[in-house]
Formats: sequence, C-alpha cells, structure tokens
Amino acid sequence: MKPIKKALRWSLWLWLSAVIWAAFFWAPPMQGFAGLYGESPQTGRIFFFHVPVAIVSFVAFMVAGFCSAWYLWKRTPGADRAAFAAVESGIVFCVLAIVTGAVWAQVQWGAAWTWDPRQTSILLALLFYGAYLTLRDAIEDPEAKARISAAYGALGIIVAPFLFYVLPHLVPSQLHNDPGSTTMSPKILVVFLASMAGFTALFFWMHRVRRRVLALAAADGDRLVDETTPDMEGLTVE
Amino acid sequence: MWRAISTWTAEVRWIFAKEWRCELRTRYALNTLGLFAFTTLIVVSMALGGPVGLSADARPFLAVLLWVILLFAATAGLPRTFVHEEESRTATQLRLAARPSSLFCGKALYNLTLIFALEALVTPLYLVILEIPVASPGAFVLSLLAGGFGLAVGSTLIAAMIAQAGARGPLFAVVAFPILLPLLKITIAATLAAVLGEAADMHLTLGLLYDAMLTVAGLMLFPAIWNP
Repeated sequence: MKPIKKALRWSLWLWLSAVIWAAFFWAPPMQGFAGLYGESPQTGRIFFFHVPVAIVSFVAFMVAGFCSAWYLWKRTPGADRAAFAAVESGIVFCVLAIVTGAVWAQVQWGAAWTWDPRQTSILLALLFYGAYLTLRDAIEDPEAKARISAAYGALGIIVAPFLFYVLPHLVPSQLHNDPGSTTMSPKILVVFLASMAGFTALFFWMHRVRRRVLALAAADGDRLVDETTPDMEGLTVE
Repeated sequence: MWRAISTWTAEVRWIFAKEWRCELRTRYALNTLGLFAFTTLIVVSMALGGPVGLSADARPFLAVLLWVILLFAATAGLPRTFVHEEESRTATQLRLAARPSSLFCGKALYNLTLIFALEALVTPLYLVILEIPVASPGAFVLSLLAGGFGLAVGSTLIAAMIAQAGARGPLFAVVAFPILLPLLKITIAATLAAVLGEAADMHLTLGLLYDAMLTVAGLMLFPAIWNP
C-alpha cells in the first residue's frame, strides 16, 4: 500500500509542476484583458492559479460543512478532526485566492482592493471560517468544542454557497468577468482543468496529512493524560 | 398530533413570557439596546452635521448608517438571552423544562420583539433627525422586518453557541458578524432602494430567503448546540 501512496504523492508533484510549466510556456497569452496598462495578455496567466484556488477553497469549506454535519449525526471524533482540517486548509486556499486576486487587480484595475462583489464575498467567507477557529479556541471542554464547532461548521453549508455564488450575482460586477460569458481556447481550457484537478488533489492530500497529525495529537494527548493522572486505586486517607 | 402541537405552542409561549418577565425585572436588554441605539444615532447626526436629506453626498450612507446603528445595538443586547442562563446556572433546568425547538422559538420570538421595538423607536427618529423622505414606505418597512427577523434569529443561534464559551462579549461580535453581514448587505440594498423609490423586490426576496435558511438551520442545529 505504501509504494502506491508514495507514487500518488510524486504524481501530484509532477502534475502540479507540469501545470505551472504549461501555464507559463504552453498556454497561449490571454486576449481581452485590457487593463490599466493597455492590452496585457501575459498578466492573464495568473488565472490558472487564482480561479482554481478560489474554487478549491469553496470545496474545502463544503467538505468542512459535510464533515461537521456527519459529526452531529454520528458523534465520531474523526469527523470533527476532518472538519477542522478542512477549514484550516480552506483558509490557506482562501488567503491564496485573495492574494492572487489582489495582485491581478493591482495590475489589471490599478488597485489591489476595490470592494468588488467577488472580493467582498471571499473576504466574508474568510471572516466566517476565521470565526470558526476563534469559536473553537474559546471553548475548553473537548466535547462542547467539537459539538459547537460542528454546528457552526454545518451552518457553512448554507453560508458558503450564498457567499460564493449568490452574493456576487446580487450586485453586477463592473470588473470581474461573468464566468458564463468567458470563452476559452482549447489549450487554455486544458491547462485550467488540469490546474483545477491538481489543486483539488493537493487539497485532499493536505487534508489527509492534517487529519493524521490531529489524530496523532489526540492519541498523544490521551496517552499524556493517562501517564500524568495519578492512579487513585489503593490510596487511602490517613 | 394536535396535542403535541398544543404542548409545543404552550412551551414557546411559556419561554417567551419567562424571558419578558426576567427582562422587566432588570430591564438590562431594553436599556442597553435603547440607549446604545440612541447614543449612536446622536453621534451619527453630529458627525453628519444635521439633516442631510437626499443630497448626492449622503445617498450611499443613508441605509448603511441606519443598519450600523441597529446591528451594533443588537450585538450589545441580544446575546444576553442565553448568556444569562449560563451565568445564573438555570440552563440545566431549562433543558429539562422545554424541548430544544420550543426553547429556540421562544427565545427567537423574544429577540424578535426586542429588535422590532428597537426598529420602531430608532427608525422614525433617524428619518426625522436626518430629514430623509422615503419614496416607497411599504418596501422600506418590509426591508426593516426582513433584516430584523434575520438579526433576531441569527443572534439567538449564535448566542446559544457562545454561551458555552469563554470571553463571550467579544466572541459574539466575531462569530455573529460573518453570518449576519450577507443579510445586512442585502437589506441595506433593499432599504436604500426603498428610500430612493427604486425596485427592491429582488433584494427583499433574497433577504427573506436568507431569513428562511437561517430559521431552518437554527431549528436543525439548535438541539445539537443546546444538549450536551
């Protein structure tokens, strides 16, 4: 089993390296990005990283939501750890989406932050899941921590789609393209889909590693408690 | 079936009456919400330098400032509904006395009456002090009701969560704002459209949809939050 996992891990690195190479050297420059500095087709290459990480952050938050709902149903500690790991990874991808978006916005629109509806929505998503971590840290009792976090995480099943898909359509964006109106050449589409697949696989790999670390920490915590708690049996009050 | 519904309704009524009885003893939430909103209203009016009407400079802020006043006043008063149960150690007794769904509905109903009372007090004052004419009063009232409903239900749910945590005061704002901000963005757009006499139908529909989703989520999640 181990060689297969090792091969999968190497395949992921090779795949992502190929995506990075293809995004810069194989895909043609993108037309239609007339920004602050005139027509700038080379800057559009950030699209191959910015859009996939934004979509993967949504996938991560939905995974967190469903793992939270699973915990509330079955009360298995593994589901709570899976939800927590998904939120952590989702926040990493969310921050990457915000940063790459800000870099692109600076080049394209002349300002890193313009309170465009999509920028606002992804920032609200970051705040929502940042609050998940704060809430989790504020509860001491492990059972209550898992239960309350799971309830908040499950609320994300409603809030995340609203933030990622409903709110951006509420106010028509003057800057972001409507995804439905964009046409891609076959080469661009292939690199985009390969990047989507690569980043999604990267998320699930990161999620798996983090879940294992959390499981080991939980097991270690239990062992430490067992070792440091004095055995009360046989003790008598003088 | 009818007996179960009647018992459930009686529990909701009992929780609602208990909340108001407790509130009228101390008048903590009433005083906090009212004074907080009134003080903020005065600050806003002073900062704007008096009546602004529908002047072009003030237009983007008309609805935002009203909802900022309502949101911060709600944040100051609404979390108490569950926090005081934990502080006075009556939560366990309440768990035995009522089902989670009726408890959630009773508490949400109490918060709803508080927030509607706050809106009834603050909104006319806001409109009069800043001399803002409302072109579509029906849509304006609907936007206030939709926003107030979401604030009350969302705050009830979050209050139940943070009541079991430490550092409850700051935590409520941190946890509640991301959930309430999408609703506020919608209701601010609806309120502004109503003031200016523009179409607010889409915003109102989305606001009511968000309210419905929060209510369903609250009813589904509350038993897990409330019962260890």
